[in-house]
Amino acid sequence: MRSVGQLVALARLTALEAVRQPVVLLLAAACVVATGLVPMLLMHNLGEPGRMARDGGLAFHLTFGVLIAGYASCSTLARERSAGTAATVLSKSVSRRVFFLAKFCGVTVVVLWFSLAAGASTLLAERIAEKFHQSSELVGYATDWRTARWLLAAPAGAFALAGALNLRGRPFQSVAFLLLAVGPLAVLAAAGCFNQAGAWSPYDLRVDWRLLPATILVTAALPCFAAIALALSTRLPMAPTMTGCVLVLLAGLLSAHVLGPWASRNALFAAVSGFVPDWQVFWRADDLAGGGRIAAAELLRALAYGAAYAVGALCVGCALFERTEVNG
Amino acid sequence: MNDFDSQSPTPPVVELRHVTKVFRDFWRRPKVVAVSDLSIEVRRGEVFGLLGPNGSGKSTTIKTILGLLHASAGEVRVFGRPAGHTGTLARVGYLPEESYLYRYLTARETLDFYARLFGLDAALRRRRTEELLRLVGLQQAANRPVGEFSKGMSRRIGLAQALINDPDLVILDEPTAGLDPVGCRQVKDLIRDLAAQGKTVILSSHLLADVEHVCSRIAILFNGTLRAEGGVRELLVNRDLVRFTVPCADPALAGRMAAWLREQCGSEPAVDNPSMNLESFFLDVVQRAGEGTTGAPARGASRP
Repeated sequence: MRSVGQLVALARLTALEAVRQPVVLLLAAACVVATGLVPMLLMHNLGEPGRMARDGGLAFHLTFGVLIAGYASCSTLARERSAGTAATVLSKSVSRRVFFLAKFCGVTVVVLWFSLAAGASTLLAERIAEKFHQSSELVGYATDWRTARWLLAAPAGAFALAGALNLRGRPFQSVAFLLLAVGPLAVLAAAGCFNQAGAWSPYDLRVDWRLLPATILVTAALPCFAAIALALSTRLPMAPTMTGCVLVLLAGLLSAHVLGPWASRNALFAAVSGFVPDWQVFWRADDLAGGGRIAAAELLRALAYGAAYAVGALCVGCALFERTEVNG
Repeated sequence: MNDFDSQSPTPPVVELRHVTKVFRDFWRRPKVVAVSDLSIEVRRGEVFGLLGPNGSGKSTTIKTILGLLHASAGEVRVFGRPAGHTGTLARVGYLPEESYLYRYLTARETLDFYARLFGLDAALRRRRTEELLRLVGLQQAANRPVGEFSKGMSRRIGLAQALINDPDLVILDEPTAGLDPVGCRQVKDLIRDLAAQGKTVILSSHLLADVEHVCSRIAILFNGTLRAEGGVRELLVNRDLVRFTVPCADPALAGRMAAWLREQCGSEPAVDNPSMNLESFFLDVVQRAGEGTTGAPARGASRP
């Protein structure tokens, strides 16, 4: 029971420390802004502005999410080890396993909150993109400029409100990070009152809900990546851990192409291919082309893969951290 | 000196048996032998001083006792269990050499966080937090982030977190570093109070006066090896000399006594007036200033 309390206290602190770092806030804000700009700045959309907006949104979600997960994981463990705070905590009756898992839980909370902002922004970006509408209320091409303005104003509003609350003693970074997800969600809810041409209409969110499973899959990749980053940072300082994370990410993106053809013929390549995380599992945006959907079975399979990989990485991390010397 | 006395009256709180700690480089080659064949034991109620110059292995020894570092050879036991056992650590309080704190938390949040790690309930957490803030004199700064604290204030909050669980064994690594003389005296008084409550204190310092004032036993490390160990009085007493302190203000009487001693001993005795140490004098001045005592600044012989 005490372990659960320790886990909660440490995870809460990890999340708090992560969101109070300006880098995390800037990355999250950049993701929302970039996602909002994609449908507005498309020059050559090849007749598929909706697809480009959602692919762009998902790509930003994955890219910025990986950066946040990697940075938060490395900074929370590698930096605590070098800064000595880990030594202070581990000199209490906290097992290393609880400490390590709490770090993962804290980072996961942060990336899930970020994913709320990124996911809502992607749904809105797809709605904003210029498309041909044929409904009882709107016929013809329309770009949802009103929603676009609101979406771009959301991060600015979050920063302004956090600044105002900072006057009353609330920490700016963490409040701004929390509001960053609230903003796009509020825009999503408010945009339901208008159609894409900006006219009042009966309440309907008018978003492509087929995007939701794709967003969930991208979100699932982030804790998986965080688990790998944490496992690496049990033994390595921050810079080598970040380098290792980049290599794991690239290896995972390339493994299907580089190792795939050899895996069926060579046991070693098959083993390496199985060991390297297959990020393609989490990228199913192509399934949405031409009105397609992500099958529930595919979604569950990918989530199971992500969970299994994260658990595996956490087990390795726990085993490594158990014997790690904490000499801060 | 190094082997344990199995007939000792109380079981040792901390036992180190032939402990060696070797730090290795990336290729696992030995880099530094931080501690070499160290055997010491600390018993209940003792204030044990770990002395040595920088790099002598004091902090490594402490981290090995806490299980943060693993001994390359030998055995470390705390309360009869292997070092690092979580059940044992629940009875230990540790103040690191630097106060490693979460800079975004306030002083009150910091203590509450560490209290949570020990599973204290909400009411007890609040009570302990307020008690310790009062004890270390940080009530006024309770809601300030510890990242904004001066070094002395960081040491104070570090000391408070070390005591949050009312530990039976308190390990203090350079506890007076960065503290002003008033803070140093408070820490030393606190250590004496802890010892009076039957708690065991391990104190690492290279400020010899601090150690001499509070420790009952000391060990001196140099280059990772034990060079001396024993009771402070035993180690420091010079049995070849005798000192008399006599309430005698008459110089003529003092001169006659000196002449008699010279005649009896055949050598010149040292005769002088005992002086208080600088710390006591400083605290006396500060205390009187704090009480609002007016008058000329204390100078040399004008001191009462």
